[in-house]
Amino acid sequence: MIEVVKQGLETSVQDWPGRLGYWNQGFPPSGPMDSWSFRLANVLVGNEPGAAGLECQYVGPTLKFRRGGVIAVTGADMQPKLDGTAIPMWESVAVTHGQTLELSFAKTGARGYIAVAGAVATEPWLGSRSTFHKAGVGGMDGHALQAGQVVPVGEGNGAVGRKIKDGAKPIIPADRRWSIEVVAGPNDDWIDAAGHRRFLNSDWKLSSKSDRTGFRLDGPDWTFTAKATNKAPEHGSEPSNIIDQGYPCGAINLAGQTPIILLNDGPSMGGFINPYTVPWGAFWKLGQSKPGDIFRFKTVSVEEAQALAHELREICSERSVVT
Amino acid sequence: MAEEVRTRTAGNMWKVLVKQGDQVSKGDPLFIMEVMKMEVPHEAPIDGTVTAVKVQEGQEGLDADVVAVVIE
Amino acid sequence: MIYDKPRFLPGGDRYLLVEFGDEMNLELNFMGQSLAQAVADNGIGGVIETAPCFASMLVHYEPEEISFRDLETELMGLVGALGPAEDIELDSRLFYFPAVYCDPWTKGAVDDYRAKIADKEPDPEFVARLNGLKDVDQFVRVHSGTEYWVASLGFWPGLPFMMALDPRCRLTAPKYNPPRTWTPKGTVGMGGASTCIYPVATPGGYQIFGRTPVPIWDTEKRFPQFETSICLFRPGDRVKFVPCDLDLYQHVEAQVADGSYQYNVVEYQKFSVRNYQAWVDELDAGARF
Repeated sequence: MIEVVKQGLETSVQDWPGRLGYWNQGFPPSGPMDSWSFRLANVLVGNEPGAAGLECQYVGPTLKFRRGGVIAVTGADMQPKLDGTAIPMWESVAVTHGQTLELSFAKTGARGYIAVAGAVATEPWLGSRSTFHKAGVGGMDGHALQAGQVVPVGEGNGAVGRKIKDGAKPIIPADRRWSIEVVAGPNDDWIDAAGHRRFLNSDWKLSSKSDRTGFRLDGPDWTFTAKATNKAPEHGSEPSNIIDQGYPCGAINLAGQTPIILLNDGPSMGGFINPYTVPWGAFWKLGQSKPGDIFRFKTVSVEEAQALAHELREICSERSVVT
Repeated sequence: MAEEVRTRTAGNMWKVLVKQGDQVSKGDPLFIMEVMKMEVPHEAPIDGTVTAVKVQEGQEGLDADVVAVVIE
Repeated sequence: MIYDKPRFLPGGDRYLLVEFGDEMNLELNFMGQSLAQAVADNGIGGVIETAPCFASMLVHYEPEEISFRDLETELMGLVGALGPAEDIELDSRLFYFPAVYCDPWTKGAVDDYRAKIADKEPDPEFVARLNGLKDVDQFVRVHSGTEYWVASLGFWPGLPFMMALDPRCRLTAPKYNPPRTWTPKGTVGMGGASTCIYPVATPGGYQIFGRTPVPIWDTEKRFPQFETSICLFRPGDRVKFVPCDLDLYQHVEAQVADGSYQYNVVEYQKFSVRNYQAWVDELDAGARF
């Protein structure tokens, strides 16, 4: 049982792969944005990689343990302290009844993750404990954590002192520049050759108007093929308007001239084109980005993108734990 | 003894509430950052005079742990 | 245009978009919903979920279980087996929804936008004028004169995108640019050729002109219609807006608040594409109420 002393900026219960099966009613998957760090935290405490844990955004929470157990903190460096003493990240740590874990703000990266042996045991909602805060779905009473709440935790057996191998952790670039994999499509044929070149050869700055719903990008203009300009009027008047279509999670959605990467809490459909899609294996980079960071996009094939996710599955397992 | 007040999150400088020369008491609000539409207020850690303001209202994409205000 | 063969487009590592055409044509949505039903009935291994939309259907699959190419092959097989659109029959519930047109709440939201973001012609007048209607009264007659087909749900959980079934009531409207930052819950709006109802107060870009007191979203499951889901609608439902005055709105609102409201839903009908198309063929599509 974990008492929320300070809730941090926005801390929520998430599980992986999140809430699946309800896209046709508009429910997004939610879940952790950096599922690499999230899953490794679970592996460290002996949980299934996708078990429910906490995602801490930008400013971490202060939590008091009402029961002893084993925890692990991964992701962005929020300088975790147990009863005022620094504890290592990427390592399973014992906590006893009455101890307080304090996470500060993320010095690098944006999102920290806390796993507890036994996993967070809130009531699942449409098959998942993930929180979709804006719609009041999942998590603690449908929302991010609030001070005073007590987060239920299941029974678990974690071993202390388990560490993640060097080379198995995600690396957050110090220069705040990211190379992000993208797969062309579904609507790549709406952008002309010059537009594709411009997209792939420019710096895109992550705007501050960004959150788990979507990441807005600042950069050059897009230019279009005839498909975008010679179309039935019911598509809409902008070149980037299309008859409403389902949106892949991770789509780079072009609203007018503004690309918005649709994320874990994003909309399931709408009337703008998606010339590129960020594959799930690259989401962790988005999860650790913060406004002002620079993205450069590079295309990969569907198969290469699938290999990224597959590789992460392999990494987020016992094989990454030091023996 | 100069006290550097650093940004306690990445984000935008939503409001800058002091200028160079202002007298502040411990706990007075100095600036408010915004990230994901949420406010992160920053208060003076000591009594003193604001000797430098290194940020501007409206500045976007600031990093965390950056010196914003200096108090002596 | 309805494509001879649907297009199968990749969406990252785990989505596939099936495009049936590039026009707003109910037939394409019938095909999408029918294909979604066929996928569910046939159980393609590796398919996590489908989401039909106006002229397309999105498939979310698990690449560890099925490749893009194999999924494409399976879907092509199902499309082939579907047969012509005319043969499609779908279970379809019909909801009667009281709605106040030109209500004070949407007017307030539009006035707020005009004061703070950008000036514009008030929405009901704007849509009436753009569609060559005489006045707002005619707009209300025309908009409310048809059943609306729930083609898909999305943008926000539970938010239905609906298409007018009666061609005499087809209207179009551009979207706000930039969008509004808020919309009253229960607002009825239009964007492109689709009508929607806002389940909660969200930002939005549709032209707005009415409000319904009937909940389409209920996290507390206070009414039997929400037993299996917190959102009321499914693709294939139909909605008929019944224009009412503020008194009736408030009466229904009170019934919703005390839990006594009875949803007016007709649940014995099957929607027959053949019958629908035969009816449409007999109409003077250009006439207006």
